[in-house]
Amino acid sequence: MKEILKHFIFAELIYHEDPAAFGDDDNLLDAGLDSMGIMRLIMFAEKEFGVTLPDTEIEPDNVGSLNSLANWIRRSGYAG
Amino acid sequence: MLLKPFLHQCQHQPDALALQEQDRQVSYRQLLQQAQTIAAALQARGARPGQPVAVHLDRGIEAACALFGVLLAGACYVPLDLKNPAPRLSFIVADAQVHTVLGTGAMPVWLDESLWLDINACSTALPATVDIPAESLAAILYTSGSTGQPRGVALSHRAILAFTSWAADLLALTSADRIASSAPFFFDLSTFDLYAVLGSGASLHFIPAGLTMAPARLSAWLSEHAISGWYTVPSLLAFLTYKGNLAHTPLPALRFIIFAGEVFPTPALIDLAASLPQTALYNFFGPTETNVCCYWPVQRERLIAEQTIPIGLPAAGCELHITADTGELWVRGPTLASGYWRDGRVQSFLNADDWYPTGDRASLEQNEYRFHGRLGRMLKCSGYRVEPAEIEAVVNAIPGVKGCAVIGVDDQTAGQRSALAVVLDPGMSIAEIRKSLSRQLPAYMQPSRYLVLEELPRLANGKMDYGQVSILLAT
Repeated sequence: MKEILKHFIFAELIYHEDPAAFGDDDNLLDAGLDSMGIMRLIMFAEKEFGVTLPDTEIEPDNVGSLNSLANWIRRSGYAG
Repeated sequence: MLLKPFLHQCQHQPDALALQEQDRQVSYRQLLQQAQTIAAALQARGARPGQPVAVHLDRGIEAACALFGVLLAGACYVPLDLKNPAPRLSFIVADAQVHTVLGTGAMPVWLDESLWLDINACSTALPATVDIPAESLAAILYTSGSTGQPRGVALSHRAILAFTSWAADLLALTSADRIASSAPFFFDLSTFDLYAVLGSGASLHFIPAGLTMAPARLSAWLSEHAISGWYTVPSLLAFLTYKGNLAHTPLPALRFIIFAGEVFPTPALIDLAASLPQTALYNFFGPTETNVCCYWPVQRERLIAEQTIPIGLPAAGCELHITADTGELWVRGPTLASGYWRDGRVQSFLNADDWYPTGDRASLEQNEYRFHGRLGRMLKCSGYRVEPAEIEAVVNAIPGVKGCAVIGVDDQTAGQRSALAVVLDPGMSIAEIRKSLSRQLPAYMQPSRYLVLEELPRLANGKMDYGQVSILLAT
């Protein structure tokens, strides 16, 4: 799942870092992920993984890194 | 001069709340005292009226005190974007020829130690009173420059005050207002927060940085703080509209929202207007050189999803003119910046009749102005101005690059993004270019697409064929 997220983020949302060198705990917000990017990322993840990511849980702690995103998506019911 | 309305409020209501950041509250009296201390320290270091002083602080109470301190000393402030890579910050500090860099705590490693002044290390003192002429500079705001390097827009006390007093009247600001602030001080939006709001005796509430990425908590924060007004950017308002839980978070105190800096997609604006039926909405328009030259009080009944909204009417006493040949918007009036800051002085950008040619294409339809994009190469990426020439200059300076061309491509997230076509020496790679650019340019300037070419397309006259570059990068 993290690979799918990473591919989408670095193909569509941020162009700052070398994706291969970008770690799962590295900060996506510092790398340039902004509010419009988060909206598209959530739409993508909900469709791709068949989950609903509640608006009230959109937080830097849940969208700040690939690991935190993956954990959030799993907590929201993705079992893949 | 610019601080005159604020100083009046300090006499009139010294104990009223001026600034709030998280749990920290500062009264007008406390803000003035802190600013006086910083002003006195600057004067003791020999800062002279009109000299630039950089501020290396994120938006918030300390940065506001620093800005007011610089102004009380008669100097002019240069707010730095701390997210910029060190080489860009270092360039700006050198280009502005700053007398001092104000900050707190550890000094940035790239800075010459003799320039650094920790504002928390200044001892309480009163500055000498300085007589500030209306035309003396208050701020230099750096934007991307078409000359290939960041360029400082030099704003006089007169120019900022012309905008802020007009805006304070338009919004009928009073001491009862509680205004939210999210604009970094290096954006011209912040002049409203600092001078219109604090000149009206209202209080300014800094939105905690993390909340701009937590829309439901942001709307709860606006509600809890009984925020009555907010000047911000469309992208954040769209985020709030679609993810901010507004249906369950009534904002009865919020009497106005102003937006600027980007085109607000009309469907999102329609949804925002429906979510906030009692809030008056305003579209402000103008490049940093004019601060704001046009405004449109949003007429909800005229919003149609398929149509972009007008930029409206001339603002703050500005005169507007549209050229017959290219449809370029020209502006003349009191809010105009003095010029660009270059080699330690102001270089005017006005043409013969004192008009500023904005480079924006506009039209006048039924007494309303409309914006139709840019004439030149400038891009707007996530609300930031980006001059392709600045990216080209950085790329061309990388060893192993034989030539390059940067164009804009439409982008769902950022509005526009830069894209780079480049000719490389053997052995040089795109990966190397990306690595180098991520060290030298901020995130919003990074190219979204890369293309290696054998040679760059040229027109018959030898000039770069940017149209052809766009076609190549689109495929």
